[in-house]
Order: sequence, then C-alpha cells, then structure tokens
Amino acid sequence: MNIKDNYLKNRKNIFFSLNKDIQNHREKLINIFENDSFDRKNNESLKNINLKNFIDFNYKYLIPEETTVINNNQENNYSIVSVNGQCSSFKDDKIEITKISDEDYNDFSENNTIEKNDHFVNLNSLFLNSGFKIIIKKNNNIKIKISNIVTDDDLTIFQKNNIICEEGSSLNLIEEYENKNNATSNILNVIKLEKNSQLYHYLIQDNSPNFNLIITSHSSCKKNSTYNQKVYNFSEGYVRNFHYSELIETNSETNLQGIFFLKNNNTSNNKTFVKHLAEDCKSNQVYKGILNDRSKATYFSNTQVDQVAQKTEGYQLSKGILLSDNASYFSKPELKIYADDVKCNHGSTIGPIDENAIFYLRSRGMSKIAATKILISSFINEELSSIDNEQMSEIIQKKLVRYLSKVK
Amino acid sequence: MFLEIKDLSVKIENKNILKKLNLNINKGEVHAIMGPNGCGKSTLANVLAGKEDYEILNGKINFKDNDLFDLNIEERAQEGMFLAFQYPVEIPGVNITPFLHSAINSKRKRMNEEEIDNLSFAKLLKSKASDLGINIDMLKRSVNTGFSGGEKKRYEILQMSILNPDLAILDETDSGLDIDALKIVTDGVNKLKSKDNSFLIITHYQKLLDYIKPDYVHVMVDGSIVKSGGSEIAAEIEKDGFQKFQ
Repeated sequence: MNIKDNYLKNRKNIFFSLNKDIQNHREKLINIFENDSFDRKNNESLKNINLKNFIDFNYKYLIPEETTVINNNQENNYSIVSVNGQCSSFKDDKIEITKISDEDYNDFSENNTIEKNDHFVNLNSLFLNSGFKIIIKKNNNIKIKISNIVTDDDLTIFQKNNIICEEGSSLNLIEEYENKNNATSNILNVIKLEKNSQLYHYLIQDNSPNFNLIITSHSSCKKNSTYNQKVYNFSEGYVRNFHYSELIETNSETNLQGIFFLKNNNTSNNKTFVKHLAEDCKSNQVYKGILNDRSKATYFSNTQVDQVAQKTEGYQLSKGILLSDNASYFSKPELKIYADDVKCNHGSTIGPIDENAIFYLRSRGMSKIAATKILISSFINEELSSIDNEQMSEIIQKKLVRYLSKVK
Repeated sequence: MFLEIKDLSVKIENKNILKKLNLNINKGEVHAIMGPNGCGKSTLANVLAGKEDYEILNGKINFKDNDLFDLNIEERAQEGMFLAFQYPVEIPGVNITPFLHSAINSKRKRMNEEEIDNLSFAKLLKSKASDLGINIDMLKRSVNTGFSGGEKKRYEILQMSILNPDLAILDETDSGLDIDALKIVTDGVNKLKSKDNSFLIITHYQKLLDYIKPDYVHVMVDGSIVKSGGSEIAAEIEKDGFQKFQ
C-alpha cells in the first residue's frame, strides 16, 4: 500500500487528523513521499537501509489497556512505564507530564528545518499515534526512568515526545527499550533546554531481532545549558539513532556518545548533526562500535559552525572494532566551519582487534578468547567508567557480559 | 633436557629466518644469544613464545618433556615460559593489577595449584614492585600505556618476577635502558635466578652480561648458531664486533 492510501485508511487512528493546519502539513509530507525519487546518494536517512520495509507497511496501533504508571518512589525520582508510546498525565510542583498536543506538533513541524529531508521524521509526523510532553520546572533537579513497552506484535508506534527543561533545572533521564515483539517504534524526541539547564539522557536499547527501533532526537540549547546523550545499543533488531543538535545561545554545550554492540546480520545507523549558532559553545562526540558476524554500522556526523559562532570547540571521534571479516562499519565525520576562531577536530579508526595485543596477553597465560574479551572491554572502558549513575553502570555491565559471552 | 631446539628452520613472508638452528638449555642455566641486527634472534624468541606469524619449516622443540608445537601461546606461558618483549605492547584500558592477577591464576590453575586471592596478590605485587623500584601508582595504570621505554622494561621484569617462570626469554631487555635502570632490571633477574629456572638472554651488547653472568654465550648469524662458548665470547664480540663470525 502506498503512503497516501495507508494514511487515508488509518487517519482516524492518527493524532490530530482533524486539525486543518496539521492536515495541510501532512499533505505536503505525502507529496514528498510521492514525488521524492529517494536520492540515496545524498540523503543520509536513506543510506544502508531498506526503506521499502519502512514505507510499505501495515499500520497497526492499539491504545493500551494497561494504564501507564508514574511513580514518585523517592524524592525527585520518578519512574514511568510508557505503553505503546502513551503516558498518562501527571503533575506536581516539580514536573508536569501531559499527552502531546497539536500545538506541540506545530511547534516542532513549523520551526524544524534541519530534519526536513529525513524520511523517518516525516513518517513520524504523518502517522503520529502517541507521545507525551515532560516539563521539568524551574530550578528542580529530577531523575526519571522511562521503560518503553510495546504490547503486541505488528504494532507500528509513531511517537513524539517533547522534553522541556526550564531555566536552572537538571534532568537525569534513563530510557529503556527492551522489546521482544515483532514491531516497529519510530520515536521523535524534541528536547528544549532553557537557560542554565542540564539534561543527562541515557538510552539503553536491547530489543529482540524482529523489533525495529528508530529514534530521532532534536535538542536545542539556550545560554549555559548542556545536553548530554549516551546511547548503549545492545539490540539484536535494527536500530537507527539520529541526533540533531542546535546550540542556539552562548556557552551552551552538547556531548553525544554512542556505543553499539552488534552481531549476526544486525545493522545500526547513527547520524549526528550539530549546529553551532552562537559564540563559546562546545560539542563533543564519541561513537564506538563492536561488530561481529555480518553486522553493519554507519556513523555520519556533521558539525557545522556558523559564521557568528566564534570560540567554538567541536570534536568528533568514531572508532570501530571488527570481530569478523564480514562485519563492516562506515564512518564519515565532517566539519563545516564558517567562523575563523575555532578549535575543531575529527577522527576515525576502524579495524580488527590488535593481534599484537592478543599475543601479548596470551603470552602471559590468558586464553585467546579471554584476551579478546578483555581487549573489547578495554576499548570501551573509558566510556563505561565515565557512567556516573550506579544503576546504569550495573545494567550496562550485565549486558556487556552477555554480549561478550557470545564472542567466540 | 629442559629446552631442546633441534634443526629449527622458520620462515615469514617467504623469507627464511632461522636455518637449522640447534640449542640446548638445562635447568638452572643462563644462556645468552648475541648476534647482529636481523640475524633472527627476536624471531627465535617469538617462535618459542608461540607467535603465529611464522611458518615452521623443519625441526623440533622440546620444553619440559612437551613437544612445544603441541602447545598454544597461553599453554606455553602456563607451562612456565615467559617472554620479556623487546617492544612491550601498550594496551589502554587494561589495568595492570587485575591483568597480572588473572595471568598468575591461569598458570596456577594449569598446575592444579590453588588460585591466589586478591589480598595475597596485592601484597605480592607491592613487594615485587618495591624490589624493582616501581612506584605503586604505576600499578593503577593501564598495561604499558604512557610508560617510558625504561618503565616498560621494568614492568616486563615485574611481570616475570610475579609469574616466576621456568624459562625466561629476555629479548633485548637492555635496549633503551639507562645505566641505573639496567642495574635495577638485572638485579631483578639475578634475584629470580635459581637452580630450578633457566634464562635465555638476547642482546647485542656485553654490558647486560656484565650484570647477569651467563653460563653459555652463543653467536647467531644468519639464522644459525655459529659459535658457542663461555663469557669470553661476549668479550671477543665487544672487542671485534660480529664481522669475524659472518
């Protein structure tokens, strides 16, 4: 079924389909799909992916019977179970959670420029069926853990979340995606950081082989704010992690880190696009992949420094270990600099595990497999030891042990 | 015989390196191999340790009644063979202390000995490090990472003294060491020397052999041992170079 028919058939189950402005916007999106020749050469949202699987799909959405649970189990600590992308409303003096509204939709869609060529973002806007908005109120320091559950096979979740950190607030957000169904989640997180706010955003992805996870996030940082994202991808199913970041006011910062552990025929597509739009801002990216069997990963990164963004510091680094001759990792870090007083660099190294290091460790009595595992662990040691959340650290270590147990 | 190398011929990338090499080492003996650059000394050390880049064309090696070629790299180490590397490999992210702890326990396991616990190991490591003038802070670092040339060599000797091998092969351990570091390193070797273990010392220079007295000195040229004798050979080489043996 083509996109248009699919949309028309299901629109009664899609958010905001009675809103005229949104209808108009969606008609434009349908036109993009109908007229786009899908330029795989220049459009990075189309590279290394079988787009047909995602465009020609059977739409299915179930409003969850289970109500979502929001627990305020300790002071300033909240845990949320989001079911099929939905979360019930909650409000106290520190945070506010509401269902996504048509205003939120418009706010993003009309002002968004950098993702306009991203077909998965467009699909998300077109078939939107879930999502919520979280506001962290001024000067509060909050921890939230969200478990994202998909209840049934064949569901297609199109979810948009808005996360707003008000002035002076700090949010430590852990999102878990651990789904066993044969389903697809296409999630767009729109994150706004007001002046002097901070967000530490951890994403743990560990889905079964038939679960497709497409996460796109967009952060915008105002003065003295910092957005930190750490993604740990242990999924056996397809995962796409794209992040678009805008540093819109001075002294703002974005730190992006991704580690992916791939095996079998799995693919992980990663892309970052950081726009420095003000003076004295920093961006830092480290992406590392461990690829076994016939797995494949991409890392496309673009850091763009606007003419006004003097004193920018921008770093990009990607590294990959290929544990098999059939695994592949494509890495393309790019810098586009239009200011003249900046410190930027980028680098990428990909290759098999160091045979000399293996020999050295084995010559001290360690087995080949133990030496391989110790070298894999050491490859990501810096990133794992920098996790300042004990609970997170334990979760990641357990998953790492599980991944390593399959390395032969 | 503790180590017996018979007619060993080895090649790498179509280049014959070792050519019918013979060498016998008994328990408790210290042997030195001297030879010019490129004669195959490091190849011999690597082949003994089990590096897999080489093709064995001919010959046999027996080590403690084992056919060495039946043992893989780690089994050789667990059986008591130790190679002090000429260029120790930097391994960022692998901490020295747990690495060495795991190494000693892998050997003990093979020997059906009880594994050494954390506390006892920490004490052992601290005492051995102190003997070698190694700062305790260094033990918190990653293996060889950010070490100076001298620190790397000292750390190799620390590993050797912890693992207490039956046969230690020192591949140009003296290269890159200043005189004080050379003294510390050779003291470490001399402390370990006993009637129950043997040493194979590979070097270019007599200097090292002033500190570690060898029982036998062998001259290696073009992949074979061309002369064997006592310490007087080292003095002869120091005086006249390798030219006369080629």
